[in-house]
Amino acid sequence: MSTADGSANTDGVRLLTIRDLSVEIRRGDRIVRPVRGVSLALDRGETLGIVGETGSGKSMTGLAIMGMLPAGGRITAGSIDLDGRELVGLPAARYRAIRGNDVAMVFQDSMTALNPTKRIGEQVAEPVRLHRGASKPEARARAEEMLALVGLPRPAERLDDFPHQLSGGMRQRVMIAMARVCEPRLVIADEPTTALDVTVQAEILDLLDDLRSRLGMSMILVTHDMGVIARHADRVGVMYAGRVAETGPTSELFARTRHRYTQALLSSIPSLTQDRGEELFSIPGAPPDLTVVQTGCPFAPRCAGATDRCRAELPPPVTEAGGHVHSCWHPAEGPAAGNRARLVVPAPVGSEPTGSGPTGSGPTGSGPTGSGPTGSGPAGSGPTASGPRLRVVDLRREHPAGGAGLFGGRRTVKAVSGVSFEVAAGETFGLVGESGCGKSSLGRMLVALDRPTSGEVIFDGEPVTRMSARALGSRRTELQMMFQDSNASLDPRMRIGAILREPLAIQGVGTRAQRTARARELLRDVGLPASVLERYPHELSGGQRQRVGLARALALDPKVLVADEPVSALDVSIRSQVLNLMRRVQLERGLSSVVISHDLAVVRYLADRVGVMYLGKLVETGTTDEVYGSAAHPYTAGLLAAIPEADPGAPRAPAAARVRGEPPSPVDPPSGCRFRTRCALATALCAQEEPPLTPVTGTHHVACHHPLGREESRS
Amino acid sequence: MTWYVLRRLAVSLLVLLGISAVVFLMLHLVSDSPGRVVLGQRASPEAVADFNREHGFDRPVVAQYVGYLGRLLHGDLGRSYKLNEDVGTLLARNAGRSAMVSLAGLVLALLIAVPLGILQAVRRNSVVDRVATAASYVLYATPSFLLGLLLIAVFSQTIPIFPAEASQSHSPWVVFTDPRAMALPVITLAVTSIAVFAQYQRSAALDQLGQDYIRVARAKGLPERLILTRHLLRNACLPLVMLVGTLVPTLLAGNLIVESLFNYPGLGLLFLNSLQREDYPVLLAYTLIGGVLTVAGNFVADVVVAAADRRIELSA
Repeated sequence: MSTADGSANTDGVRLLTIRDLSVEIRRGDRIVRPVRGVSLALDRGETLGIVGETGSGKSMTGLAIMGMLPAGGRITAGSIDLDGRELVGLPAARYRAIRGNDVAMVFQDSMTALNPTKRIGEQVAEPVRLHRGASKPEARARAEEMLALVGLPRPAERLDDFPHQLSGGMRQRVMIAMARVCEPRLVIADEPTTALDVTVQAEILDLLDDLRSRLGMSMILVTHDMGVIARHADRVGVMYAGRVAETGPTSELFARTRHRYTQALLSSIPSLTQDRGEELFSIPGAPPDLTVVQTGCPFAPRCAGATDRCRAELPPPVTEAGGHVHSCWHPAEGPAAGNRARLVVPAPVGSEPTGSGPTGSGPTGSGPTGSGPTGSGPAGSGPTASGPRLRVVDLRREHPAGGAGLFGGRRTVKAVSGVSFEVAAGETFGLVGESGCGKSSLGRMLVALDRPTSGEVIFDGEPVTRMSARALGSRRTELQMMFQDSNASLDPRMRIGAILREPLAIQGVGTRAQRTARARELLRDVGLPASVLERYPHELSGGQRQRVGLARALALDPKVLVADEPVSALDVSIRSQVLNLMRRVQLERGLSSVVISHDLAVVRYLADRVGVMYLGKLVETGTTDEVYGSAAHPYTAGLLAAIPEADPGAPRAPAAARVRGEPPSPVDPPSGCRFRTRCALATALCAQEEPPLTPVTGTHHVACHHPLGREESRS
Repeated sequence: MTWYVLRRLAVSLLVLLGISAVVFLMLHLVSDSPGRVVLGQRASPEAVADFNREHGFDRPVVAQYVGYLGRLLHGDLGRSYKLNEDVGTLLARNAGRSAMVSLAGLVLALLIAVPLGILQAVRRNSVVDRVATAASYVLYATPSFLLGLLLIAVFSQTIPIFPAEASQSHSPWVVFTDPRAMALPVITLAVTSIAVFAQYQRSAALDQLGQDYIRVARAKGLPERLILTRHLLRNACLPLVMLVGTLVPTLLAGNLIVESLFNYPGLGLLFLNSLQREDYPVLLAYTLIGGVLTVAGNFVADVVVAAADRRIELSA
């Protein structure tokens, strides 16, 4: 067929060949070029992982294969060969016959990807009716069969459900059933698990793997997560700024990383095995603007090893043994180069007065403004040497679920159900757990943005939860919060300068000029130029905005900083910059902080001690090394096992260690141990009695009837 | 669901009670002596006082209101002294005709606005979209009496295809039995609504077009026409249903102008005439109907939306 190139079709093994694909999108008078000369290949029965950060062109490549470029988009050059058939330039009607039939797609967010007003059976059956001309009952039977195949329990009963009646993981299974229903040769999964919790992500990815091997389909897995790629792809394409930086078999690419970008990216991922005393490797700068014409290697401006040649000439693809192709003038040898700085850990953090960090690098104190945090600031910080800075005592928060029941019986969501912990001065406490476990509700109560139903938050010996609004007003300076979505938490109509001055103005600190000087200082502390003062939030990149979020939280020199998912909205290369910054700020300022995240590696990097939350309760607490090194709660162990490490050689956890299913509703939590419904070790005792937090060692506590360490030592 | 309906009905009754109290009090403040209004300026004070005493208008306002409510419970809306007729009978005679012409205008508006709004959304920023948007703004800014006059000038005077006066028949079905005579009132009513509805529908459809499920439908290989009818239409119409629900009472106001312009004997014309005659029992009843329509319109809209979108649970 289309063997004009000679290499397009090698003895029927190759399913998809993309050659020199370029895409441009016209948006008003700007032209974006998200894909620039991409060449990738996929064999039958194989999974090709396309990995890259936001704007790398990975999703656009997937959409180009589907012939579904956004409005104003077109393929300007190149070819897409699917099983001997050229897709570029195919008439719309013939493309439609391929979509959903030969090539199907699974999207990221199953909440919006399913039509909210149609029953799932109808939605799954739709492609069969369309492409196979099946009758309604035939298509319905096929939909039921598919839903059973993707592991939806009791599929016959579920056919008439609406999407909102299913959990996130189940919805994603429905999405997969919908894509698989016509037995396409190729399934493109675009970030199929990004919106899911890590335990559910593991199940969905295993399902995709299983379907692929059982049904012999090929898959393109588009993701930002190197760990997912390492575990689930046979072949990888690493994309940066619309180009393929490097492509090859997964094990080969991870073992002998050639492109400097891939290498830097891999080094900047916080892993579960990394030495916590080291700073994360971070790539300076931000990805390039895709509207400008590039010369040279697109990564050159951020590359430590860039030379004049890199900046002037585009490196051509170089093929090495084993089909490993890279485009780099100065290829690296093997993985991770170690130019990591060791963190300087100041010895007696607790007793240091605030504001005088031991690193001589930058003045972090109040400096020439002289005023600093007036009022309650420096004077009060001295005599709190005894006792923890923040103490949480049996904290509970319930809020009404939906409307009231018929008579009286108002249902409540038990967001937080009796959590107690302490945070010492200068200590960082990490809270991990899946979405809906109550960690964010808890975080808001810590900084008094929300009041608990019962229980107390005691800050420096005073119960914040019982203070009057007026008394709280001045105390708020010392309790600050850094939010997840800096795009939503910064007022879009305020300049950065005004945003940073506002907390100072509210607390009546200094004159306007002094406040501006302080804002400039704060920006310097978080590594931003003073010119940012005059900018609006939308003019900044995500990483820059998150730095502003941190600067704002630090503006009043707080003693406690609560960071709720501080980096989860950021790309990998930006994430490590912000993580390093946060770590440095914590050390320099002697802050007590609480870091809340679903990402265990992030918490491991930032926290001294960790608390694992499940359905509103702490199930395990301990030092970071204890919790990560010898997890005692089956849930903690399951979470750790579910995280895909960015290393294809990493040992996979046995399937038994995995946490199955999804968390039950916090409206009616299970009796006894709340985790028992998903626990492999659960016994009758677990259903009857709720296990209290009991010490394993002096600092390590676990709430489990059958903690893991004991089981192991016995056997 | 049943519980929800019961609760809503109870709340609605309270709302209506409040409306009636406020309106009753206001009318009382405007004219505390119905005898004067009924008997005229030349009647002797004694005759006026007698009339008021005879009909209980000399009692305290609260007592009068309670009395009115009591009669209302028996379906007695009061009596128009000016027309010497029962208010209930008067309204019943005119309500059907007004309802039919309003409904015809509403249906016509929706039939045009829904597809137009979706077309604008699908072809956003195209010539069609820009022209339709511009036309919408012009129509939106045009008072309906001016629009009615223009329509009369063009389609009744310049090109005489439609009569300038609406049918005077008392049948509520006149919209169907004499469409030619009713064309201009219905078109006037429809056109003013189309402008609002189409813009609303456009933005709702744009919202939905940006959703992933539209992309999924495309990824299934569905042709655009089926994507619009099977997936977009229902989701994109939900906001409009809510809007129409809240606009039901304003149909009453629209009728006011159109009915007087085309001399169509409906509720609107009755209201205007009663206003001139200072016929307070009729005005009071008319205002109550407005309240009932507001409450009912919102209620029906809520139920329809909940039926179409199962994510919404009806619980109060």
